[in-house]
Amino acid sequence: MAGFADLNVPHGADRKAVQSLLEAAAHLGYSAVALNHIIDFKEKKQEIAKPVSPSELFPSLPIVQGTSKRLKVLTRLTLVVSDPSHCNLLRSTSTNIRLYDIIAVFPKTEKLFHIACTTLDVDLVCINVTEKLPFYFRRPPVNMAIDRGIYFELLYTPAIKDSTMRRYTISNAISLMQICKGKNIVISSAAERPLELRGPYDVANLGLLFGLSEGEAKAAVSTNCRATMLHGETRKSACGVVYTVKKLHKIEEEETVPACKKAKTQA
Amino acid sequence: MAPPAAAYERRVLVSAAQHCYLRVRLELPDGAARPGAPQLKQLVVAALRELHGEVGAALPVDVLAYEEKSLCAVLRVISGGLVKLWSALTLQGFYQNRRCAFRVLQVGGGLPSITAVLCVCLAPFFPFLPFLVSNDLT
Repeated sequence: MAGFADLNVPHGADRKAVQSLLEAAAHLGYSAVALNHIIDFKEKKQEIAKPVSPSELFPSLPIVQGTSKRLKVLTRLTLVVSDPSHCNLLRSTSTNIRLYDIIAVFPKTEKLFHIACTTLDVDLVCINVTEKLPFYFRRPPVNMAIDRGIYFELLYTPAIKDSTMRRYTISNAISLMQICKGKNIVISSAAERPLELRGPYDVANLGLLFGLSEGEAKAAVSTNCRATMLHGETRKSACGVVYTVKKLHKIEEEETVPACKKAKTQA
Repeated sequence: MAPPAAAYERRVLVSAAQHCYLRVRLELPDGAARPGAPQLKQLVVAALRELHGEVGAALPVDVLAYEEKSLCAVLRVISGGLVKLWSALTLQGFYQNRRCAFRVLQVGGGLPSITAVLCVCLAPFFPFLPFLVSNDLT
């Protein structure tokens, strides 16, 4: 079974606070955690810094309760885009973005949501839970995102803090479920304090509230998170795909040169 | 195909039993007021009302055991109401304006699977508490 993961732990400046969050997550049973750096393009131009490796920041990672392995800490970048020009950063190949393990995008308009689902090279598309969605989900971009292996992320910590946010979280989640039928969903916290974190089975139960089935809800905390991490790894490593096609040879022909070398000379 | 037993194991059993039992622990920040047994019941009902409205608050929930020192409690709810109660406890974030968190430690369909400590001190608060040593083990 895939270990539980929490893919959104905001990376603050205070190292001790983040350390206590990591310890709480390990105590609750999460095997992997992603430290999230949020970049908002509406503010003045921000430089995307190279991600500091978590092993440098936290020399001793806590052991996950129930196993004997240490907590796995990944780096994640979230881009809040409200304008199509902000996406240009993702298309360029020479920035520090490539060094992050997981890349997420937070679209604010319908056009950007469509672009994020169909063309952008990201792992996660964040769904707004703090305000009423300004657009309705449509089936074509959502289905394309599911085919491409992109996951939709829902947060649950705003629902703990405020009752209005609770209503928005549940209503946005339900409208997403109607379109995507419960596939490709990841539920994560955006906890700033250890008391805002919830255990993995509690979060899976919240998935039932959003309209997922039992298996889908548990997958939202475990299997889908692992798939997102693998998607990020393949995005980091592969730039393209080379595949060889076996050429059909006539039986009477005598081959002295092996088939692969022959193809090269011919090309 | 049984997985090796881990030192820390959570198992969720939703069977055809009449009641579901939850073992929960309330985590509070240092220095916060610790609730007594009636306050805990009030907090649980308030959490249900906030999330599921009057219908949720009317869900038959009982606090079977409560230890004030460790803030651990055993709750009982009818099987159909497990998801509502569990989600209400998860989303409950405040107790008396201080942040809190409900940690659900164990969920089971029968009381023997939940190692409970029945406090004798609960008797004066809940004189109508049914003795569940034999009845609910069907």
